[in-house]
This record gives sequence, structure tokens and C-alpha cells, in this order.
Amino acid sequence: MSSAQLEIQIIASLVAIACAIPGTFLVLRKMAMISDAISHSILPGIVIGFFITQDLNSPLLILLAAITGVITVVLVEYIQKTGLVKEDTAIGLVFPVLFSIGVIMIAKNANDVHLDIDAVLLGELAFAPFDRLLISGVDVGPKSLWIIGSILFITIVLLVAFFKELKLSTFDKGLAASLGFSPVIIHYGLMSVSSITTVGAFDAVGAILVVALMIAPAAAAYLLTTDLKKMLILSVVFGVFSAISGYWFAHWLDASIAGSITTMLGVLFLAVYLFAPSKGIIAVMYREKQQRTEVSLLTFLLHLKNHDDERERHVNHLNEHINWQKVRSKTVLDLALKNNMIRIDNKIVSLTTKGDEFTTQAIDYIMTNEDSQIEDMKEDFFLFRG
Amino acid sequence: MTKIAVQIDDLTVAYNYKPVLWDIDLEIPEGVLMAIVGPNGAGKSTLIKAILGILKPIAGSVSIYGKSYKKQRSLVAYVPQKGSVDWDFPTTALDVVLMGTYGSLGWIKRPTQKEKKAALEALEKVGMLPFKNRQISQLSGGQQQRIFLARALVQDASIYFMDEPFQGVDATTEIAIINILKELRKAGKTVIVVHHDLQTVPEYFDWVTFLNVKKIATGPVKDIFNDDNLTKTYGINYKVSIQE
Ligand SMILES: Nc1ncnc2c1ncn2[C@@H]1O[C@H](COP(=O)(O)OP(=O)(O)O)[C@@H](O)[C@H]1O
Ligand SMILES: [Mg+2]
Repeated sequence: MSSAQLEIQIIASLVAIACAIPGTFLVLRKMAMISDAISHSILPGIVIGFFITQDLNSPLLILLAAITGVITVVLVEYIQKTGLVKEDTAIGLVFPVLFSIGVIMIAKNANDVHLDIDAVLLGELAFAPFDRLLISGVDVGPKSLWIIGSILFITIVLLVAFFKELKLSTFDKGLAASLGFSPVIIHYGLMSVSSITTVGAFDAVGAILVVALMIAPAAAAYLLTTDLKKMLILSVVFGVFSAISGYWFAHWLDASIAGSITTMLGVLFLAVYLFAPSKGIIAVMYREKQQRTEVSLLTFLLHLKNHDDERERHVNHLNEHINWQKVRSKTVLDLALKNNMIRIDNKIVSLTTKGDEFTTQAIDYIMTNEDSQIEDMKEDFFLFRG
Repeated sequence: MTKIAVQIDDLTVAYNYKPVLWDIDLEIPEGVLMAIVGPNGAGKSTLIKAILGILKPIAGSVSIYGKSYKKQRSLVAYVPQKGSVDWDFPTTALDVVLMGTYGSLGWIKRPTQKEKKAALEALEKVGMLPFKNRQISQLSGGQQQRIFLARALVQDASIYFMDEPFQGVDATTEIAIINILKELRKAGKTVIVVHHDLQTVPEYFDWVTFLNVKKIATGPVKDIFNDDNLTKTYGINYKVSIQE
């Protein structure tokens, strides 16, 4: 592996981490769309910054462009506050306007600006190692490494310092406000960090990858954990994993690095979305099937409890009586037997003591609407789930 | 004469320039257990948010024991409507209760063992200690409400504002909550509760405020909780004889 290859992977990983941190909070605040808006509407800021500084890597340019990002958020909120349109509509109104202003500015000045739209949207990570930072003539590494490294450093310091405030205002804005932690300040703090990260990263990886790196790792992590700190760590791990595997994928295919990383993010998210243990699609479907069987089981047990009459409890009558198909009756009967809830003597079904106890408690909970208690109770009584 | 815990003068609050609370004057004496009643959209939640500085009123003023809310924050605890937060948020019951200690900690400082101990005690008080490490989406509606109550208890305030704490809870939880509220009053605290079930007002509360955009009436339940005020507040002709 050459040093340029290593540098590209380090830059991509730092960008991934710098994006995953604000991305986690954007996902939890259901503001994924806003990062899309920011990443596009910073374009006029970048162009104006470039006119002034003539240097795509100047901190002033980054600051100017980040301000455009924050202005986007202000405009979106202003339009939303009029109550005429919803938030996503407001976002859809603001960022195309700002983005197209940027595009027109580039087109009008095509001769003096070597900026092109493709580069803005997709970036060119492969070139990042060629633009070196020289300090009194000494080569200290690629410029984008220093830029994104500094942004990441600031982001981590802010995260550690204000973790509690971020968590509180994300979970409960009202309480945050009443305790004196202004949600407005925290909101704009997060928006500023997101904007600065976006600008700092776009030159290397482009606007589209920035959005993908902010949202996809956090959304995948959200499906896997119920702890905010773990969610942050997982987002970071997913981001770095996609960055490095995407790099080698691109190397192998001889394709765009940003494109490959985005593909990896998509594949990763899809895999988590399908296979996540409790929130994944497959787990949810499995649980629904289990729930259906267990509701049937409960119905069946209640039926047994309500009818002493032997005819009502004859195996053959169950199919007709509760109006179930054979398969279902059999599943339910098997489940009840496996859990020692019923006994079958001469094709007559009756509740065991355990079955009777379970049913009595279940009725109690149903009467008092304590559905969650039934779930706890299943844990106590069931040896096998449906 | 008893002290005034909360004093509201000429308060008007608007969303998008449309006033939803008009010119409210209200005095809440110290040590009452007060219900705020009124139909949906009457502005009950808005009133609480305006008192707590969450919303900025377009006119009027609020004072807590004679000073602005900002100066008296540490005296006040707030339980928002349960539906106002996302219960899928990745956090545990204990962590939510710990949030009640953030106010006294101030910016940047983290909760320590001392705060954690207080949070565990509050969980114990509402009977939720066994659930301390549960993810909050795994709790029933009643349990979530108890967690919110514990979070307010941990603030150890003088005045408690609660927005519909009985919404969607089971009978056992309702009794547990009202008993804790009555205990708070006994300890000299002022408790203000947005309440929906008119049937239970005389049984649970000693003070009541009728609200529907304007303040209709406020005072002791035994004096003003009657068909006349109910009719004025709810518009329809109220003929329930709730009182015995
Ligand atoms: N964020 C908001 N933006 C605009 N209107 C709102 C907002 N919140 C509440 N309202 C409106 O203000 C009125 C009072 O609301 P609220 O205080 O929640 O009533 P209550 O708690 O008594 O049911 C309602 O008409 C409601 O539609
Ligand atoms: Mg309300």
C-alpha cells in the first residue's frame, strides 16, 4: 500500500467520524433532510468564499460556506413558522434556490473559477493526497487531512463537553428549556457543526457522500442499540468501515471512491435494516407471527376455561368451534402442550394447573388494560414461544 | 394570609400571531393541589409552557414567589405531556430520571454518584426501581408516566407543573400518582396539574382553574366547581352533578 493510498483512507475515515457524530443527533431529531439541504445550499457560500480567498482550503471560505448552511436552516424554520407549509416542503423550497444561485455563479465566472459542479457533488478523494500543506517549506501532509482533522477535533471536544445538553434537548426540548438549557442555542450549535463538517468534507468527498456519511451509519446504529453512547460508537464504526471497504472496492473496480463508499453505506444499511435483531424487518415479521400465535393460544386457553362441557373441549370440535384452520389449531395445540398449559386425555383437552393459573392472570391483565404485563407474564410461564 | 407561589398578570400568548391565551390573570396560592381544566385546545399546555419560559408571551408577566422564572428555576419542576417526547429514544429509565438533576448541575458538569443516588431514590418512590435499566420504549404507558414523575421528584422543587399525568395510565398507576401528589402537598409543595377527567376533580384536588383561551374561574374546588363554570368553560350545557 502506497502512502497516498494510506492517506486517502485516513482522510476518508476522519470524514466518516466527523460526519457520524452530528449525524447521530440529526437522525434522533428526525432532521436527516436538513443535512441534505445544508450540503447543497453551501454552494453559493463556497463560490463567494472562493472569489474572496482564491483558495478552496482557506478557513475563511469554510466559515463563509458554513454560514450559508446555517442561513439555510434559519430560512427553513422561518418558512415553516408561517404555518403555510410543512418542514420537508420548506426544505424543498430553500435549498434548490440556494444551490442554483451557486450553480449560476459558477457558470457566470467559469473562466476565473476552476470549480465544477461534478466536483462539488462527488468530490475527488483520489486527488486529496496531491494538495500538500507546507509549513515553512516542510511537507506536513495533505491539506484536507489537516482540515478535516481540525474539524473532527473541535467536534469531539464539543461532543464531550455538551453531551448531556445534546441528549436532553434532543429527547425533551421542553424540559431542556425549563431547566435553562436553551434548545435554540443547542440546535444552532449542532447546525453549525453540521455545516462546518459538510464544508470541510465536501472538497474531499463531495456533497452527496457527506449526506450519506451523516445519515446512513447513524440510521443503521439506531436499529441496533438502545443506548445513545453505543449508538455514537456504532455510527463511527460503520462510517469508518464503509470508508475503508469502499476505498478498496473502488480500487478493485477502478471506480469513483466516493461512489463506492456511498454504495457500501447503502449495502450496510440494507443489511442492518433486514437483519437487526429486534428492530430489523425480519425480526419484526417474526415477532408479529409469534404474537399472532400467542394471541390464538390465549384465546384457546380462555375458551377451555370458559367451557366445562366435554363436547366443547373435544379435539375435533376445536377446529369447527373456534373457526381455525387445521394448521393453526395444530400449532396452537402443540404450543400449549409444549408449555404444559394443557392435557389431552382421550381427545378431551383440559387446562393443567399451570395453564389455569396463566389464564386467570391473563384475564386480570386484559381487564385492567396492562398489556405490557402480559408480555412479562409470558416470560414467566412460557418454556417455548410461538 | 398564605403566600402566592405563582402570579400571572395580563398574560397573552400566540402561535403565528394567533392568540391562544388571552389576558390571563391568575394567582396560585402556595400549598394547593390545583387542577387546570378546559376542553382540548383550550391552551392548558400553552399556559404551563409560558409560565416556564418555554414560550415567550406577547404580553404580560409571570412571577414565581415574586421573582422572574429565570431567577427561580431551581424551585420549579415540570412534567411535560407524555406524547411530547419520542419514547423510542435510545436511553434507559434511570437515565431519563437523571435528566431531572441536570438543572442543578448547570452546563457541562456531569451527574455524579450523588445525582445517581437521588435518581434511584426517586425511582423507588414511584415503584419503578426494578425497571431502572429498561429501555424506555419497553415500558407501558403507566410506567413511562411514573418515570416522568420520578424525574420531577428528583428535582426536589417547591412548585410542580404536570401536564396530563393521568393520560393513558392504568388505574393502579393513577392511584399511585395521586398519592404522591397528595404527599407533595402535605410537605407544603404547590402542585399544578392539567387534568382531563372531571369526575375525579373533587376527589383529587383542592383548588381548580377553569381555562378556555380566557380564564373562566379559579378558586377552591368546593366553592367554584359547579355546573355554571363547567358550562362556561365547555360551552355545552353541563348537567352532570359531579358533586355529591
Ligand atoms: N406549536 C404550535 N404551533 C401552532 N399552534 C399551536 C402549537 N401548539 C399548540 N397550538 C394551538 O394552540 C391551541 C392551544 O393548544 P394547547 O395549549 O396544546 O391546548 P391544550 O393543552 O389545552 O389541549 C390549540 O388550538 C393548538 O392547536
Ligand atoms: Mg395539552
